[in-house]
Amino acid sequence: MLIKLAWRNIWRNRRRSLIVLTSVVVGLVAIIISDGLSNGMIGQMLFNQINLNISHIQIHKKGFNGNKLVKNYIPDYNKVDEVLKRDPSIKAYSKRVFVTGILSSANNSSGVMIYGIDPAEEAKVSIIKNSIIEGTYLTNNKRDIIIGKKLAEKLEVGVGDKVVAMANTLKGDIGSDVFRIVGIFRTASSEFDKTSIYIVAAAAQNMLNIGNKYYEYAIITNNYEDVDKIQKSLENKLGKDYEVLSYRDLLPMLIYQIEIYKETMWILNLIIGLALIFGIINSMLMSVFERVREFGILMSIGMKNSKIYLMIVIEAFIIGIIGTIAGLVIGLLLEIPLTHTGIDLSIFSTGLEAFGIGTIIYPIISAGNIILSSLFMPFIAILGALYPAYKAIKLEPIYAIYFV
Amino acid sequence: MEILRTEKLEKTYQDNGVPVHAIKGIDLTIDKGEFLVIAGPSGSGKTTLLNLLGALDKPTEGKVFFEDEDLTKKDKNQLSWIRLHKLGFIFQAYNLIPVLSALENIEFSMMLLGIPEKERENKALVLMDELGIKELAQKRPNEMSGGQQQRVAVARAIVNNPSVVLADEPTANLDSITAGHLLDLMEQMNKNKNITFIFSSHDKQVMDRARRLLILKDGMIE
Repeated sequence: MLIKLAWRNIWRNRRRSLIVLTSVVVGLVAIIISDGLSNGMIGQMLFNQINLNISHIQIHKKGFNGNKLVKNYIPDYNKVDEVLKRDPSIKAYSKRVFVTGILSSANNSSGVMIYGIDPAEEAKVSIIKNSIIEGTYLTNNKRDIIIGKKLAEKLEVGVGDKVVAMANTLKGDIGSDVFRIVGIFRTASSEFDKTSIYIVAAAAQNMLNIGNKYYEYAIITNNYEDVDKIQKSLENKLGKDYEVLSYRDLLPMLIYQIEIYKETMWILNLIIGLALIFGIINSMLMSVFERVREFGILMSIGMKNSKIYLMIVIEAFIIGIIGTIAGLVIGLLLEIPLTHTGIDLSIFSTGLEAFGIGTIIYPIISAGNIILSSLFMPFIAILGALYPAYKAIKLEPIYAIYFV
Repeated sequence: MEILRTEKLEKTYQDNGVPVHAIKGIDLTIDKGEFLVIAGPSGSGKTTLLNLLGALDKPTEGKVFFEDEDLTKKDKNQLSWIRLHKLGFIFQAYNLIPVLSALENIEFSMMLLGIPEKERENKALVLMDELGIKELAQKRPNEMSGGQQQRVAVARAIVNNPSVVLADEPTANLDSITAGHLLDLMEQMNKNKNITFIFSSHDKQVMDRARRLLILKDGMIE
């Protein structure tokens, strides 16, 4: 009967209850959408980095990641090939010649990261082929080069123009070669577009005078969640001369940023929760003050303070539960279509591209976050009712009964 | 057999900083089964005395004993227990819970005692039948007349078989015929169930029914 009484008390002032309900619904919808968006942004940030150049796992000579010298090439790439080909958890891999150097045009020059690749292999592990916006992807022509859009703008070059690439050779000389731009790519990361160029591996090996050598294996696994297990297994198979690094090892700053971002989202959710608590306190206080006389009656009948307290908390809890159900339905109805169509944030394109995020964000619905948010709202509603309930039980029966 | 006793009972209110002595040293003994009316003009302290006897208010000085237990020494929960198990209240303004039906209003105090739903419904319906208000079972207070509401309030007050029912001007908002019926009902309950009734009233009809009449003037018994 206490629940029945609480339920009827909620609806005795429909407008006020609906306002509180609306605030719970709006709060939950805001949390669901902002969580979905942040998950989408984080997911895209990671996806773009992984699929652009990082991949799930990289293999180098031990120490290469900390010291990218030309002499730190893979000791025995045949051995690595053999291990990777036999491992069923590996979906695809690409061998790369990877050095830093300078790219010059007639007008300008810029520091770059030079990727020497097998175009067909690289297309299986990265999105670079699909990111070409002008011209074509690399063929096996040793004079072909593709460069990023931002770099092309800086060097004031376009498809068909010649550029000169330079880098330190194995002997410590400067190796250089002339290439013709066959394609320009644009990815979600403006920084990558400004600093990366791709040539055929044989051309890079020739320019660096390193013979048939490679510096990096970029690996995509069949299951993204098994990366740690596969990393361990590869380490065991390859031995101490190699370093096997997961994307988490290769992107420590990004992983750190993502952690901070997640924490920021929790703070934002807490702020929404706090705003809601004050809304609920306000509304429940009004409700308590409107019913002072009734509390007096309940006290005169012999209802204990603890039950009066419980009744008010139940009222808020019911509002929290109804608001949560409505908020979940509305939030998911709004968000599910957005997971397919995405949200176009191109007005923030400069900032988003600097962070390696595309301009269209596809929200990701996380079951864990939805469950947490669903528990969060009734909890917030209960918190908001504690003070008004306390005020109610502090009333003296005699004052309450004759309250006008 | 004594059920209620006061010793040098005093109650002083502060009205904008000015002390108002509502009750001035009352010594009173009330026996089980009495049908007692406390009468007196407005402002004489009738309601204050009733509230002190019913443990709704605390005296400034003096003591109230209920079944030989000093109410002034009880905490809030103990007083709630006494009100629930031993006392019933009837107010001038009926004071039913507006969101509950007549039946639910009567059932409510049984619910607080932990009586199972079916049992309390049956008990409430039997009592409503006895009081001639069974047809009002599903009606909410705003769908009932004053007389009907007061009958429901009487039912609520006696449903837990209290030792004492305290009625504060119960007929003040009723016409004389309805008031007469209500007093008949309470007299019947007093006789049949040996429930002690204590009224505060200046209604002549109520005073005429009193088996003991106390006249209060300026906070003292005349």
